[in-house]
Amino acid sequence: MGPRSKDLSLLQVENNVEDDADDVIDDASEEEESESEQEDVKLMEPSKTAIYNREGLVEKLEDISWPENVDWMHKLCLDIDQEKEVDVNDDLARELAFYTQALEGTRLAFDKFQSMGLPFLRPPDYYAEMVKTDAHMQKVKGKLLAQKRQIEEAEERRKAREAKRIAKEVQAEKLKERAKQKKQEIEEVKKWRKQRQQSGFKDGKDSMPDLGFEDGKAFERSSKKRPGVSPGDRSGGKAKQGGGKGNNKNKKNREFRDSKFGFGGKKGMKKQNTAETTNDFRAFNKGGAAGNKKRKR
Amino acid sequence: MGKKRKHSETQTAEPRKKDEGAPERPKRTLMGWKDKDEVSQQTESTPDSPQVFRNKEKVMVTCSRRINYRYRHLMLNMVSLLPHCKKDNKVESRSSKGATLNELIELRGCSSALFFECRKHQDLYMWMARCPNGPSVKFLVNAVHTMEELKLTGNHLKGSRPLLTFSSNFEKDAHWKLLKEMIIQIFGTPKEHRKSKPYHDHVFVFSIVDDHIWFRNYQISVPHNESDKMVRGGLDKMTLVEVGPRFCLNPIKIFAGSFGGPTLYENPFYVSPNQIRALEKRKKAGKYAKKVKAKTRRKMHEQSNPLEPDEFADMWRE
Repeated sequence: MGPRSKDLSLLQVENNVEDDADDVIDDASEEEESESEQEDVKLMEPSKTAIYNREGLVEKLEDISWPENVDWMHKLCLDIDQEKEVDVNDDLARELAFYTQALEGTRLAFDKFQSMGLPFLRPPDYYAEMVKTDAHMQKVKGKLLAQKRQIEEAEERRKAREAKRIAKEVQAEKLKERAKQKKQEIEEVKKWRKQRQQSGFKDGKDSMPDLGFEDGKAFERSSKKRPGVSPGDRSGGKAKQGGGKGNNKNKKNREFRDSKFGFGGKKGMKKQNTAETTNDFRAFNKGGAAGNKKRKR
Repeated sequence: MGKKRKHSETQTAEPRKKDEGAPERPKRTLMGWKDKDEVSQQTESTPDSPQVFRNKEKVMVTCSRRINYRYRHLMLNMVSLLPHCKKDNKVESRSSKGATLNELIELRGCSSALFFECRKHQDLYMWMARCPNGPSVKFLVNAVHTMEELKLTGNHLKGSRPLLTFSSNFEKDAHWKLLKEMIIQIFGTPKEHRKSKPYHDHVFVFSIVDDHIWFRNYQISVPHNESDKMVRGGLDKMTLVEVGPRFCLNPIKIFAGSFGGPTLYENPFYVSPNQIRALEKRKKAGKYAKKVKAKTRRKMHEQSNPLEPDEFADMWRE
């Protein structure tokens, strides 16, 4: 329902066709050369038969207007100068023009009120009936909050996406680094071996490269802690993989395994295929659980 | 729940002078104070006599039957914006509309009227009229946004007096000046009206863009950091929040009488919405006719230039 007047008229003139004295009463037969795309349309040329009785207008104006010496306080009207032409179809510019007009007017009025010593704005503790009900304002507030939340969520999602991408890149970098390190070390060992070979296996301890496995560091466990993995767990914490979904199915399995090996899984490679265990089907369930390959069966 | 306005707060310096110039001033009787001229629109302006001016404007707001929901809400918004108005029942649209309305206005004792007329459930026309023998204007209303829209977030005191701002092009021509005067009288709340509230916390904007009068209503909001009652230095931080409603008026005709009478002004650029719709339909009708014509033309063309027989036409025939 927006007004868009297709401004096709090149003769954008106030219509002063008729003289004052003429009072042609006519049926308005306007020229219809307008393109009608939306509701509010203007004619291309001003209609020739439009009436303009300037004298009558001025007379009526004097009839109805209030006497001259009326206080400004009664009228409270302010005239704001509108400098530039506003394009009707540009929503933002138009609304901005209205806003600036209102702001100017308020400032002027404020000055006037100040000079007259009258209260102007509403003090914060004055409560009275407002033109929109409280319930309505609650709805407005709800809508504003919802909008804000939407924007924030979109932001967060975008940030998470970015962070994920960056993390992935970093991870790729790290892996590459590690591979490179490994390769380098192997190369070094080879070189050292070659060197030793060439120099005829002499036992010059100074030619030993610093390979870094002499400090006993390798025998320590990696300091990376993995949650959920007990130190004695040889399967690397993956024994329970697939146990979330097939929980009910694998319970029998679990119980059997627990009873057979004690808690924590199989320890040590003892004899597996004996006469007793060949016919022992407690461990199997119908589907054949696909466990983790790392588990030694 | 609303606190009634305390008169002491807003007493202005306006003196209540006695009527000095008139020589035949009677002794002070019970009716004596009523001798102060209450200037209605009919008295001629006599600027010399120091009379006290009291704005006794009353506006009657009605609508026609079969009005749309949106326009009805607009009318209700106007009722809540103008504390000096009286809302009346719906009027029948046909049959000597002018006379009926004039009678109604007289009956309610109002001096002006705002009449919302809705045609075909689609177009809204607004009449602004001055009752006894004043001019009246008919507008076409566009771009209606009522106060219920959630995007218009401001709020203000119900019945507080608005500040009216007009763009400077209201002074450009006679008919704009007349409209400006009518708007001031109808939309401006009288000063010591019973239902009016003291402070001024909203602004009306009337601005002429593209020969239309655009209306906006803003709430003046100032952040209350300074706990003073009057925010003095806060002028810079003053912001305006739109309260609504919003509409755009396209003046059609100005009549000398109320709801009738000789035409004083006619908008040369105005096209009635019916004509617009008729034009569109005609364009669409034209489309079909053109298609039919194009088909016959093609047929004629084909007949006059026959194709050569196709060699491969019966290649795949069994």
